[in-house]
Amino acid sequence: MLYSTRSKLIAGFLGVSLLVATVSLFIGVRILDQHVFGEARNRVRQDLNAVSEMYLTRVKHIKTSLGITTLGFAFISSLREKNAAELVLRLERMAKLADLDFAGIVLDDGSTLCRTGPNALPAAGASVENPIVRPVLDSRIPVSGTLVLDSDFLIAENPYLAERARIPFTVGDDPALRSGKEEKSGMVMAAAVPVFEGNLLIGVLYGGMLLNRSETLVDTVRGTVFQGETYKGRNVGTATIFLGDARISTNVMTADGQRALGTRVSPEVREHVLGKGKLWTDRAFVVSDWYITAYQPIEDIFDKRVGMLYVGVLEDKYEDIRRETLAVYILITVAGMLLAVGLGYLVANRISAPIRRLINASQQVSEGSLTPELGAPEKGEIGVLQKTFREMVAAVGRQRATSEAHIIHSQKQASVGRLAAGVAHEINNPLTGVLTYTHMLLRRTDLVPEIRSDLQTIVEATERVRKIVKGLLDFSRQTKLDPEPTDINRLVTASIALVEYQALGRGVALKFSPGESLPELIVDRSQIQSVIINIIINALDATGPGGAIRVFTAAGLTSREVGRKGVEITIADTGCGIPSENLDKLFEPFFTTKVVGQGTGLGLAVSLGIVQRHGGRIRVQSEIGKGSRFFIWLPAGGKAEHESAGG
Amino acid sequence: MKVLVVDDEPIVLKSCRMVLEAEGFEVMMAGSVQEALAAIEAHAPGLLLVDVKMPVLDGMYLMRQVRERRPGMPIIVMSGYSTRDTIREALDLGAATFIAKPFTPDELADTVRSVLKTREKEEGHEDEKNSGH
Repeated sequence: MLYSTRSKLIAGFLGVSLLVATVSLFIGVRILDQHVFGEARNRVRQDLNAVSEMYLTRVKHIKTSLGITTLGFAFISSLREKNAAELVLRLERMAKLADLDFAGIVLDDGSTLCRTGPNALPAAGASVENPIVRPVLDSRIPVSGTLVLDSDFLIAENPYLAERARIPFTVGDDPALRSGKEEKSGMVMAAAVPVFEGNLLIGVLYGGMLLNRSETLVDTVRGTVFQGETYKGRNVGTATIFLGDARISTNVMTADGQRALGTRVSPEVREHVLGKGKLWTDRAFVVSDWYITAYQPIEDIFDKRVGMLYVGVLEDKYEDIRRETLAVYILITVAGMLLAVGLGYLVANRISAPIRRLINASQQVSEGSLTPELGAPEKGEIGVLQKTFREMVAAVGRQRATSEAHIIHSQKQASVGRLAAGVAHEINNPLTGVLTYTHMLLRRTDLVPEIRSDLQTIVEATERVRKIVKGLLDFSRQTKLDPEPTDINRLVTASIALVEYQALGRGVALKFSPGESLPELIVDRSQIQSVIINIIINALDATGPGGAIRVFTAAGLTSREVGRKGVEITIADTGCGIPSENLDKLFEPFFTTKVVGQGTGLGLAVSLGIVQRHGGRIRVQSEIGKGSRFFIWLPAGGKAEHESAGG
Repeated sequence: MKVLVVDDEPIVLKSCRMVLEAEGFEVMMAGSVQEALAAIEAHAPGLLLVDVKMPVLDGMYLMRQVRERRPGMPIIVMSGYSTRDTIREALDLGAATFIAKPFTPDELADTVRSVLKTREKEEGHEDEKNSGH
């Protein structure tokens, strides 16, 4: 049962620490997530900005390159002369320098003069509408940006481009699931710059880069924005250019290390970015891994959303950071809990050890020891408990001593009583003989006076013996109590009435001052009366003529028993007093200070016995020459059941 | 008038005989209950003086026996050790009165005489009752 206290304490510690750990774990994880991924997301968005900048810069670069070319004097004169062959050479050089996939010159009538690639010198009239150039011809200002060129245009421009542009679609994101369809259009970064001779527009120079299957931009991104960072053999940063919702330029790899061209983005993203033109940042499963992704739409030169720019950071890295931190956190938590349990165990022991000792001590006391082992004194409540326990044991010891004394006393009394009774009884028979024979002898008439007086002496002596034996019998008798509800004042009055005459005769004033509101007593009237009379007679014997005996009754508490109500009868005399050395022996049987022949010395002993059997007490106070006071205390309502046999 | 004294103590028997003979009674003595019962059969005493405490069979037993055999026989119980209970028991069993040892001759004589007087009165009333019937 003590173990359950200890277990309870430990369980309490465990429970609390578990609760704290769980809550803090919960909160901590959330905070961790927010922080880590919040940071990651911010970073990715910034990266997207950077990539977007790079994209736009590339476009500007194209435009600038074309622009510079159109300023060349030789270029302008070649154009004026419509020297296609020479211009082709220039175009090729420019394309190489500016890293263009295609370039060409369109005349002011809209027909293509020449271009790079296999269809360098198109036949007149075989022109296809050039969407890049048209706005320039109309507005006479340069145009640059993104553009989607259909397959017809591409084929006309350069069949190789058309071929390059073809990317088979997959179903969804799964590179293994080919849908059977394919992308034929090409998304290009292009510019077109008008060529002026003076104020006259003589032609438009155009050029651009095909994004389909292009690797330069995305890989540059990886190299610069992501600094080529890898994590466990995979690229941390990825970038993609989407035509519509399909990847056309990317360094997102499939499981077998190929670029995931033709894979589609999730419908959500398409809806959000292409459909609504909004930015998207979230974690997403891209082809074969989890990334923290950001998407933004790409608008063409007509401000139409034609594709998306994507940037993604491998989540793994962050996930691993997160997991590590979590692991450390959990470890700390578990360690904390173990510590708590350990601490709890120690504390529990600290507490339960003194308790266990107290329990042992109780057992020792119940087995009879009065000096139980309590162990070292503790502080706090347990210390108080120890102290109280010790006091209790001391009280038990005292109580035991008192009861033992009582038992011994009553046993002694009982055996003395039995002895007395036996002796008395035995004596009575021969005493009867002596008494009767002596009396019969005295009846004779032929006695000489000396013999008569001698016989008289014998009679007197025998009478005395008879009284002694009677007194002894009375003392030993322990008559059964016949208790009745009694008004003590009335009883005292009756007792006084019996001795009034004697007091009067001796010249001693006898006065009774009854107390008021006295509780009812339940006592054996005749026996208590004999006690009162006995003590009054003693007072009379001690008080000379002119003295006074005063009797009081009052409700009183006894000092021996807390709170026990009763009545105290005081008999105070102005007699000679009792010397202090006699006070102790006063109630002993046969103790008497009276002259031989007067008293037997049994009166007070018998009186005490009667009072004690009622559960009461007798006290004496006395001063030589001043007088004595006897206090008889009797409990209200009669003797309690719980009082001991010797009481 | 025959009186039977029953007591296991010879000195008591002798004392009672001395006193009662001086009063003019014929006294028989028995030292035990058996002797007493035999004496009652043989001599039909008019009064019994019985000690309560006797070894083996005590006065109470004797009184019960007497009540059966001789109802109406007056019995005086004497004892050197009289508790309220024994007295009550004795009186319940039909003792006329109780006398405590040791007693003086006068005390004994007075007690016996008063018991006999009461008996006479009772018998007188009985006779009256019977005759009046």
